[in-house]
Amino acid sequence: MSEDKNENMVPGQEQPEYALDDERRVKVLSPGAMVAKRFFRNRVAVLGLVILTIMFLFSFVGGLVSPYKEDQLFYTETLQKKEYAGAVKNEDMRFMGAEGQDFSSIIQAQVVLAVTTRKDVVTYRDVNYHVTQEGQDFYSVALDDGTTIGIAYTDVVSSSIEGRKLDFDFVFATLKAYTNGQDAFTLDGDSYTISEGGLVEKDGEELAFVSRYVINAISPDIFLPREFQEELATSLEAGDDMFTFTDAEGVESEYYIDYKPDVKNWIVRQETYTRTYDRYAAPSREHPLGTDRNGMDMLTRLMYGGRVSLVIGFIVEIISLIIGVILGGLAGYFGKGVDFLIMRIVDIFYCIPSTPIIIILGAAMDTMGVDPQIRMLYLMLILGFLGWPSMARLVRGQILGLREQEFMVAAEASGLRVSRRIFRHLVPNVIPQLIVSCTMGIGGTILTEATLSFLGLGVKFPFASWGNIINDVNNTFVLQNYWFIWIPAGICILLTVLAFNLVGDGLRDAFDPKMKR
Amino acid sequence: MANENVRSDTLLEVKDLVKYFPIKGGFFGRTVGQVKAVDGVSFTIKRGTTMGLVGESGCGKSTVGRTILRLQEKTAGEVRLNGVDIFALSREELRRVRPKIQIIFQDPYSSLSPRLPIGEIIGEGVREHKLVPGNEFDDYITDIMHKCGLQEYHKDRYPHEFSGGQRQRICIARALALKPDFIICDEPVSALDVSIQAQIINLLRELQKDMGLTYLFISHDLSVVEHISDTVGVMYLGNMVEFAETEKIFDHPLHPYTEALFSAIPVPDPNYKMKRIVLEGSIPSPANPPAGCKFHTRCSKCMEKCKYAVPEWTEVEEGHFCACHLFNNAEQNARAEQAMKEARTARPAAGA
Amino acid sequence: MAKKQNDGYLSAKESRRISRENRRITDEYEKKRKRKNVPEEEYLTTMHNPGNAVEFDNLHTYFFTDTGTVRSVDGVTFDVPIGKTVGIVGESGCGKSVTSLSLMQLLQRPQGQVVEGEIRLNLGNKAYDVTKTPNDVMQKLRGNYVSMIFQEPMTALNPVFRIGDQIEEVLKLHDTGDHTEEQIKQRTIELLQLVGIANSEGVYKMYPHELSGGMRQRVVIAMALACNPRIIIADEPTTALDVTIQAQILDLLRQLKDKTNSSIMFITHDLGVIAEMADYVVVMYAGRIVEKGTAEDIFYHPAHPYTIGLMNSKPVVGKKVEELYSIPGKVPNPINMPDYCYFRDRCEMCVGQCRGEYPNEVSISPTHKVSCYRYYDAKGGDTDGE
Repeated sequence: MSEDKNENMVPGQEQPEYALDDERRVKVLSPGAMVAKRFFRNRVAVLGLVILTIMFLFSFVGGLVSPYKEDQLFYTETLQKKEYAGAVKNEDMRFMGAEGQDFSSIIQAQVVLAVTTRKDVVTYRDVNYHVTQEGQDFYSVALDDGTTIGIAYTDVVSSSIEGRKLDFDFVFATLKAYTNGQDAFTLDGDSYTISEGGLVEKDGEELAFVSRYVINAISPDIFLPREFQEELATSLEAGDDMFTFTDAEGVESEYYIDYKPDVKNWIVRQETYTRTYDRYAAPSREHPLGTDRNGMDMLTRLMYGGRVSLVIGFIVEIISLIIGVILGGLAGYFGKGVDFLIMRIVDIFYCIPSTPIIIILGAAMDTMGVDPQIRMLYLMLILGFLGWPSMARLVRGQILGLREQEFMVAAEASGLRVSRRIFRHLVPNVIPQLIVSCTMGIGGTILTEATLSFLGLGVKFPFASWGNIINDVNNTFVLQNYWFIWIPAGICILLTVLAFNLVGDGLRDAFDPKMKR
Repeated sequence: MANENVRSDTLLEVKDLVKYFPIKGGFFGRTVGQVKAVDGVSFTIKRGTTMGLVGESGCGKSTVGRTILRLQEKTAGEVRLNGVDIFALSREELRRVRPKIQIIFQDPYSSLSPRLPIGEIIGEGVREHKLVPGNEFDDYITDIMHKCGLQEYHKDRYPHEFSGGQRQRICIARALALKPDFIICDEPVSALDVSIQAQIINLLRELQKDMGLTYLFISHDLSVVEHISDTVGVMYLGNMVEFAETEKIFDHPLHPYTEALFSAIPVPDPNYKMKRIVLEGSIPSPANPPAGCKFHTRCSKCMEKCKYAVPEWTEVEEGHFCACHLFNNAEQNARAEQAMKEARTARPAAGA
Repeated sequence: MAKKQNDGYLSAKESRRISRENRRITDEYEKKRKRKNVPEEEYLTTMHNPGNAVEFDNLHTYFFTDTGTVRSVDGVTFDVPIGKTVGIVGESGCGKSVTSLSLMQLLQRPQGQVVEGEIRLNLGNKAYDVTKTPNDVMQKLRGNYVSMIFQEPMTALNPVFRIGDQIEEVLKLHDTGDHTEEQIKQRTIELLQLVGIANSEGVYKMYPHELSGGMRQRVVIAMALACNPRIIIADEPTTALDVTIQAQILDLLRQLKDKTNSSIMFITHDLGVIAEMADYVVVMYAGRIVEKGTAEDIFYHPAHPYTIGLMNSKPVVGKKVEELYSIPGKVPNPINMPDYCYFRDRCEMCVGQCRGEYPNEVSISPTHKVSCYRYYDAKGGDTDGE
């Protein structure tokens, strides 16, 4: 009963002439090719596949191609009103002690007391202090033997020359002259002139100036020239809120004055170009999708985020798959007690409220200050561990159905070992359904991870993930004005999950032998 | 276990085999009833012969086949293969005995694993039990395939690429490769076309002659059974109602059911006037079989005692067994009358 | 799993070419099918012999599949006279089921298309060409003029509806007059009694799963008879049933045929059943008719080697043979069939002319026709065997 009775090799022809009933006459598709053909015939599934390929390339190859790093910060020069100086009108008495004299604050307090009670002498600890008024709001304090130990004043003498400190005698002489309306004084043989405005000069060189206003720069290494302080003082008297000043190099700057009534001082701000983080920059050529809240490039973050989201999706699914297949397989194959036990465990897992647990674990990891990378690992493990029950049920159902098929009975009748029956006969028939279920599952996992990261429980800064990027949008201002923050990330998630679902559907149709086409 | 190698004439001995399937009902899954699939069946098969087992759906012939092979556990009875009690073996011993007792299934489409190539399917049992040394393995498989009418290039093809007849050949090759003594053929040709049926039947006979195989041929197709079997057993609703050599049983069937069965076969002759005995009603459910003789509800020759007394399995002629009250001797009649009286007093007004 | 060898498998390029070709062809046919408001003249026709219920005229039904064009029915011509039973015999893959599906226009679209030929259906006062009839008109014909009994009684009935509902559905759908609910119910119970169901009132209320295979098949027959169709197609109705039940169903069909005067197209591979039921027999092989004639012609004077082989392969109770005759080889895969006699490679009675083209049909007697070179010179003289 041989079937190649009439097999002739006709020379010159490519295919030998087969008998009509020899099945080599008609070529058929191999099993793999058949599945592939049915898959590619389904246009929607092919579309899903194309989208997936694009997303993969974008996430994995894009990260290598992009010139920026994931957490690279960008700076920009913005015109900012920075605090420049503070001014206060001096109402209180100030003190300066002579070199080498003891003029502590307790003594100062006694002086204040004396002035207010109009006494000449005040005693403290058996020491007499003589308070003499030298001029308007200007007093000197001396001991019994006439040594001046200090002065009390309200007009402040500041040095015009940067870096040069004024000594006690100079200040004393200046104030004495100023408060008495004199326009000149001598000290140690040098003659100084004082202008009305309080400018002290010697031989035409400006040395110091006197003013009621105390003006200090915010930054300790900035020296405010006298002209500046005078300008400022004038403005303050006038009550202006802005003045312009041209400095020694000829650079004109604007200064803004803010009065703070509760502390009775003025803040002077200067508009300068400062180097700040380039936050929320609009899309441009350097940053095709702009920058985010921290000044990092959106497009690059999107790429790295895609990498994270996809990898998490895959690994979680693989973990669920491994646990699910093993437990589901055991339950399905052995039935009875083992099945009962495993299915009750599955039931318990289904009763676990996964969202509260993840929230609690997220908060716990926050307090413990877990490193972001380790945190991602924990996240994957937890999600994988919460996802295996559905996989196990699927595998168990498949195996229960397949177990009763005749080829399994035939395998048993051949005396094959149990392990061989399971792994060579049962499992390969379960694989199509598994593939379908996994592709759909990855889509779901990506959504879950995005949700968690959005809530701040998943992937943490500085690592990017698509959900994490959307986390920025928690107020309507950002939502309305900075569309480039959340729309691209949202679109990425949408496309990826949709594509996974389409591919999963397409695979299911392709594997189903009963489909007509 | 000790008499594994006893070579006697009888290969298979089945005594009072019973297989019930529990019906679970109620809240706690209690057993509320039994499906009496096989209700006391006894027969023997001599080495090198073929026994045909016929009956309609629900009569239990497939269950008998599977239970003999211990693919299902029995409820009662004894099965001895070569003198060895199959049900007394441990799992591991049973696994090692399996190559000797093989089965060919009815549906060639579902009895082959869809994702394994043919060479694997045929060869894996051989490899598992190490029946053939490693270097001879490939040749051995090719040899078996040729014997069954398959070609060597088929080894890498998958089952779905073959037609029904060829798949059945693959199943036969799979069974044959394990060097069995005994093969149960569970309706092997029912799903095939007529011309292919003839080929497969011829193949089976050839193999039996060449390799000294013993068959239990289960079928509902009487013409095929008549052609291939040496002895025939007829089953109805879990009981064997008649057993004899083929010639005898087809020549003069004793049991009314056998008569009706034989007369129902269509004959390919347009002018043949059928003296067909058409049975009334349909087959009762095996979960709730009729009392007394299970066939009495459809039998045209039903007597009063048939409704209450179960007929005994008697050897009416030499080698020709039957279970019917029509062939009772005096003692059996007396017992039957007794049973009827008892049943009547316990349960007045019998139902059909 | 073993490595796949590429020889014997279609290459990707080949399969793409085939797909493109298929799509082009099927699109054309589908466009024609999808037209709306087709005028009646397009499918109105006349019967060549008014005594026929159905005439198949050179029917070609092809399936355009991924592996090539399957010519399931490749030039089939026969008639079904009114009130007679025609048995179609053949094995799997010969095209007998597809022939009946072509009549009912239930082919799997878009792969299955009637490419050529006519099927003329006699509706009494007029005749339709079923191949050109649009779908909406076809729906009125199905169940009404042509009805079908399927092979699997276990799955042919809808498990969620009662038996009574299912039969009434057929009646209501084709209800021309305004019959009341009560009248329809009466008719249903009548039908159930007609098919031999004793407890018709009870069965009327039952669900399919409560009935056995034989009973379900009776219900299906009742549904088929409901609207007094002119032709009933029975596609292997008893193959899935036990022998005793089969006997009952065949008896029933014979009785009904006498009562209702409808024609039956009986499709099967069981020669015994054909012998019981059929008046005329058509033998099909690989999509073509190899022999046709009356039952006596075929069974007592089988002409085609395939028919002879079939007769001999079936074991008959009482006939003792040492070895069953079997036709060597097997039924060919109907893709890309060549142009010589399809049975040539399996035939044991080849003559020299068999090397040529496919043989034409020859008449051995007015009723008996065969396609075989062995009978070419029957009229002339010397021929080997008959």
